[in-house]
Amino acid sequence: MGIVGPIVSDATALVPAGVIALVTVLLAWVSGLVVGRLLSRTNPRMAGAGRRLAVGVVVLIGGTLALQAIGVNPAVLLVVIGLLGAAILIGLREPLGNYGAKYFSDIYTPFKVGDTIRVQGYAGKVIEINAMTTVLLTDDDLLVSVPNASMIRDVVVNTSPQAWKEVIVPVTLAASVDLPAFESELLKSLTKLRTRLDRRFPPVLTTKSRSAQSADLALTLMLRRPEDRDAMTAEANKRIAEVLDRVRGARR
Amino acid sequence: MSPSSICINTQTPLVQFLDPGAAATANGTRDGVDLSSLREGIDYRFSPGGVTRMVYPLVRRLLERGVLTEVHWVALNPRAPPVARAGAITLHNVRLDAGRLAGYGEMKEALWSRIHDLEPERPHDDLFWSEAFSEYAFYNRRTAELIRQLDAAHDFDAFYVHDFQQLPVGQMLETLKPKVFRWHIPFDLDPIPPPWRSVLAGYLDSYDAVVVSAAAYARSLAALAPTRKVIRLYPYVDPAEYSRPGPAAVEAACERFGLATGDDVALLVGRMDPVKGQDLAISALSTIAAEYPRLRLVLVGNGSFSGSGSGLGLSKSAAWRARLEEMVRALGLTERVVFTGHVSQSDLDCLYERARFTLLPSVREGFGLVAVESWLHGKPAIITRRAGIAELVHDRENALLFDPSEPGSLAEQMRRLMDDGAGELVARLVRHGRSTSRKCSLAAAERAERAMLEELMEA
Repeated sequence: MGIVGPIVSDATALVPAGVIALVTVLLAWVSGLVVGRLLSRTNPRMAGAGRRLAVGVVVLIGGTLALQAIGVNPAVLLVVIGLLGAAILIGLREPLGNYGAKYFSDIYTPFKVGDTIRVQGYAGKVIEINAMTTVLLTDDDLLVSVPNASMIRDVVVNTSPQAWKEVIVPVTLAASVDLPAFESELLKSLTKLRTRLDRRFPPVLTTKSRSAQSADLALTLMLRRPEDRDAMTAEANKRIAEVLDRVRGARR
Repeated sequence: MSPSSICINTQTPLVQFLDPGAAATANGTRDGVDLSSLREGIDYRFSPGGVTRMVYPLVRRLLERGVLTEVHWVALNPRAPPVARAGAITLHNVRLDAGRLAGYGEMKEALWSRIHDLEPERPHDDLFWSEAFSEYAFYNRRTAELIRQLDAAHDFDAFYVHDFQQLPVGQMLETLKPKVFRWHIPFDLDPIPPPWRSVLAGYLDSYDAVVVSAAAYARSLAALAPTRKVIRLYPYVDPAEYSRPGPAAVEAACERFGLATGDDVALLVGRMDPVKGQDLAISALSTIAAEYPRLRLVLVGNGSFSGSGSGLGLSKSAAWRARLEEMVRALGLTERVVFTGHVSQSDLDCLYERARFTLLPSVREGFGLVAVESWLHGKPAIITRRAGIAELVHDRENALLFDPSEPGSLAEQMRRLMDDGAGELVARLVRHGRSTSRKCSLAAAERAERAMLEELMEA
């Protein structure tokens, strides 16, 4: 039997395939919702990635079953998908690595645009973090482009004053969310953590980019003690999620 | 290159609506209520004094000369329609509900008091962690969002943000276009609590240039935010607006305010606020009242926009006036002190004309444009050393200076003017005062502001 065998010859096979497809769509939606809810207290970007992964897995399984129902050999299909995936990974290994590093850089790399860092023997001010590289401006006015993957793999030293204090939490807001109300409620909520934060630097919410659908923001908190970094990030994310729920609820 | 379209942001609106209902229904179009269809003094009035009185003539002048072609003015105005038009200027009004307004008012009053070095015993260290700060942030973010939306529609060349209430707008307004901030109140580092300094520096750092009213403030500000461009520009008035009323108009106005022919009038123009030092003037009057039985103190002014009924309703002026009236009664000066409240521009001109001299006795004053008004009316002025304008004053040359912390010094200077009559000292003060006023004229400001904006646009 070939990959595309008796699809047309037996039209009745389309009915179960259609049912499987419908159930798959429903399950994908539910699983995205459940995983999103389960991860709602973590970093929003992590929650988004988890949600998309859950949806992807359900779609892959459901799609395979649906194709099987119309007579497509799933083993052959999976081999083709696997080979294609491997080819893509091998061919785009470097850029994908850099892109992945950039994707999670907000969470795992302790620097931002404007900071002064040392990496791979280079030192300079970070003037750009794009999809592939981090661009440094050195004291000699030279531009140095460092692949993002190096920022995860190599030792990076942030030499900016008080850099250890800084915790930057990315926040993505749908355009429908009232930004002033969200910020005001978040500031109120964060005052509860003030004993763990440097009083000279109250929380600051800055806008990084906007689109018609959403706004990417960054919440900057300044720690009083370096060992609070992880706990503060988790607590800030929890409070962001709570405030978002409240602000959305108030709007409804 | 000059900016041709600009967005101005102030807390105090150019226009206060006295009857918001009428304003909303009268000729309200998609582009807003046109002020020309309303009645000044009945439906609306221009905000008296302060920032708007200074900025409006300059904007009008720049529009007349074709330097500016489009001006949008965003301000806090809870009792106004969302959009109104004043000639070529489009007014956008930010509205807050009463709860948020109260929190915002609490925060800005605390900021204002501390920066003016008032209430030093009140702890302020945690102000930026308070609930009031979250409302202050709400107002500023709402303003910044409105400005951003307007910019998307009109593509402004530059943004000009005025006064400490609006300070966070620069940080909240993400744009690569020039942003200028004008700091109108005093700026000394000493009274600012250390925990505030990094916050203020962060806000100031978000602007391309910061304008202050005195060289001393520029030095303090440069020490706080050394990376910012700091410019000293004197506040200004339009001399053309200061006319000399005829004797009949002056007599009629004086009669309305209970002033008799032969009274020696010491005039103090300023809103009812402890920082304006009306109590110092009353004390000084009580010291010399017996020596000069015809000397009368006239206090002109009411609450600010924040304190007025058509404004924010955050009044402290009524309480201060009640305290002053009690003080006057206790000192037995009821017949010697006149409280006029808010007066029209023509009545104010008459009172200046009638004055023997004027007082600026503020405990702290960002600049003190009323002294310039006094000079334009040809009246000698006694000026506190704690006003920005004091750096333009040479004692006994263009005005008399006094230190509000030295008891008796204001009374001493009042005595000096009373004893001189229309003598050599008064003539010198008037002559040199008028000459100094040119540094604070609209023409001087137009040159300086244009040069600053052009430099920023070129940069």
